[in-house]
Amino acid sequence: MKNLPKPVVQTSDQAQTIPQAPGATAGYPITGRVDFSDSTYLLDVYHPMLSKAAAPGQFVIVISHEYGERIPLTIADYDRDQGTITLVVQAVGKTTREMQQLCKPGFNLFSVVGPLGFPTDLGNARKVICVGGGLGVAPVYPQLRAFKTAGAYVIGVVGFRNQDLIFWEDKFKRYCDEFIVCTDDGSAGIKGLVTEGIKWAVKHHDDIDRVVAIGPPIMMKACAETTRPLGIETIVSLNPIMVDGTGMCGGCRVKVAGKTKFACVDGPEFNGHDVDFDDLITRLKRFRAYEEQAANTWCQGRKSAP
Amino acid sequence: MATSKPKKKTIRTIPQERARMLVQASTQRVENFEEVALGFELDDALNESERCLLCPDPACVAGCPVAIDIVGFIENITLGNYRRSYDILTDANLLPAICGRVCPQEDQCEGVCPVGQTLEPVAIGRLERWVGDLALAKGWSNEPYIEPNGFKVGIVGSGPAGIACAADMAKTGCDVTVFEALHAPGGVLRYGIPEFRLPNRVVDAEMQNLTRLGVKFECNTLVGRLFTVEQMLSDLGFHTVFIGSGAGSPKFMDIPGESLHGVLSANELLTRCNLMGAGDFPRHDTPLDLGDRIAVIGSGNTAMDAMRVALRLGAEKVCCVYRRTRDESPAREEEISHAEEEGIEFHWLTAPVEILGNENGNVRAMRCVRMELGEPDESGRRRPVEIEGSEYEFEADTVVYAIGTNANPVLGQTSKLKLNQWGYLEVDENLATSMAGVYAGGDIVTGAATVILAMGLGRQAADSMKSYLGIRDTENVYRPQQRGCEGKLFGIDLEEKNFTRLRLA
Repeated sequence: MKNLPKPVVQTSDQAQTIPQAPGATAGYPITGRVDFSDSTYLLDVYHPMLSKAAAPGQFVIVISHEYGERIPLTIADYDRDQGTITLVVQAVGKTTREMQQLCKPGFNLFSVVGPLGFPTDLGNARKVICVGGGLGVAPVYPQLRAFKTAGAYVIGVVGFRNQDLIFWEDKFKRYCDEFIVCTDDGSAGIKGLVTEGIKWAVKHHDDIDRVVAIGPPIMMKACAETTRPLGIETIVSLNPIMVDGTGMCGGCRVKVAGKTKFACVDGPEFNGHDVDFDDLITRLKRFRAYEEQAANTWCQGRKSAP
Repeated sequence: MATSKPKKKTIRTIPQERARMLVQASTQRVENFEEVALGFELDDALNESERCLLCPDPACVAGCPVAIDIVGFIENITLGNYRRSYDILTDANLLPAICGRVCPQEDQCEGVCPVGQTLEPVAIGRLERWVGDLALAKGWSNEPYIEPNGFKVGIVGSGPAGIACAADMAKTGCDVTVFEALHAPGGVLRYGIPEFRLPNRVVDAEMQNLTRLGVKFECNTLVGRLFTVEQMLSDLGFHTVFIGSGAGSPKFMDIPGESLHGVLSANELLTRCNLMGAGDFPRHDTPLDLGDRIAVIGSGNTAMDAMRVALRLGAEKVCCVYRRTRDESPAREEEISHAEEEGIEFHWLTAPVEILGNENGNVRAMRCVRMELGEPDESGRRRPVEIEGSEYEFEADTVVYAIGTNANPVLGQTSKLKLNQWGYLEVDENLATSMAGVYAGGDIVTGAATVILAMGLGRQAADSMKSYLGIRDTENVYRPQQRGCEGKLFGIDLEEKNFTRLRLA
């Protein structure tokens, strides 16, 4: 299928006449899409080999079209029978908002490479709390399922802003021994942040041997600080800015226990008590001005487009 | 060939002056990404080819990592047989337009050219490029008749080492697939070397020649993670595998301030610009946060590329900061002088000890020390020693690291291949890794080196792979079988490399 829609803001020029480099694929078809809210959407991407290789904790790098940027997205699920992987995307910047428009069944992603990073090391954890917040809710699901399948007692804690944004509740409940929802406004479950959920869980269980927390850096930091005094091993999954995702550019370097690590090839999961979150949060702002410019240009282009 | 050779040339009879190659004026070229060196015209090429003495025992061929028949191709330029000249080049090297541009000829063929003892050596690289460009312009390509031999060969990495190996294996009739992790093939030729030194259209065109040999490219495939090297041999059914994944993991210095905005590796800068089109933001979505005053640490070819890219992207001032002097600098002399002409400032004997930021987390300066050269170290270069009390602030808003690379860890993490102490793949003299049927070459074996050295190793590995597969190698003279037990074990020649792999259903 060769109907790659061109990005909206674009002037025609010679770039399109450059002969296609050998090895370029026809793209990776989107086979399914579900919208959870006006900003969060789920995509099923057909890539049988990737669905076979994917394991919990790993991510992919996606380029939506020829002029697109490489963005890392954690694998939220995979279906080896259907040959698909599932990505859950939050429309926050230009690329993810554009993808929200473009990515419908029938559309082909320009590039999908993965699975990248180390799979989750399940270890010998017998009782775990799996915490997901914001864009981390979907990625924590395959881990939670893996822990459950490995025989652990699993407590799921997920955080949303309000009741309307909740998704995958059934999926989570199927693999959780206990399931706690936290909402900012208290419209469902516990009122408060996911750390409240962790506190509730540790109050009722004194034998928790691991916490897995995935979400915005500020949330993972809060989780790590909650468990630090309790001495519970806490694994976090980092999402710094990346280009190639294969260890080549060093853009995703993070500080872990005072050492520089590349999240793409050394991670993406690290011990949350060792991660320098302030460093990560600062580095995530590196391209803020450019991100705003790209989003604005794109919005204007959409308004002026026929 | 029995053509009537012209009279014997001597150092006195050949044109004394090397043909000049046109270059874009430095003031003009910093404004664009067009090629700096414009190449020879026909007259230049003919003149320059006359300067070759056609040595009977040419030193240049021995000096070439891929052993191109240099005398042969130059002689055919003189005779006007340009097509034949191209054929000779492509016998040894399918990528003449690339190698003519990026080889460090002064250290190889041109460095040993006898003409160079009295005059300037024959401009072999420029002649190679001229023939390569002519072939691209005329649409020449060599599609030898290839009889499929039923062997499947997998190549990891589509950089110089991988494609050199792929070409050799494809010519013998193997079914060759090249896997590339990025979304476009070429490896360092694509993401690393900038447009003004090696245009992407040249890379594309020469890669097309490989596909004509039947080589298949699979992009977006990270070997090790999508499937392992072991799986290539078992599930995917490759009879032999070549690994040319490159060194590629950038080094940092671990000095304070490296997390500040505006600190990045040369790899990141070059990838964003060359592969992702960051120079054309926001039409291309990938941004690049370069400031006005750029300090590039290091003085190798990558540093030169990074500096010259930064200049073309509109930086006001670009400085090279290197702890040794120009003499120890690993970059090619031509690169340094091109960079100088373009207005890049060189700060020799200078090393950063800290990167300083402002309240927004952006780089505002570096704290540097001055160095002096002490005793020679293991590399034979004089070791730089800090001059005490020489600290000063060096104004910069972007700091780019180009101080070399470490081995990429992905294959080590995902396979049982044996690594050496630095994390590079361990190979024997035949470039065989610790896994039967798996060979390796290029930067993942040697550490960061040049395009042509990687290609040389790719070809050498191809030779080993042919003998591993039992493909008769026409370049090898097969000795008659020896009598007796010497060099044999149970009657089997010890030099034979044959393995039987059982595939379990």
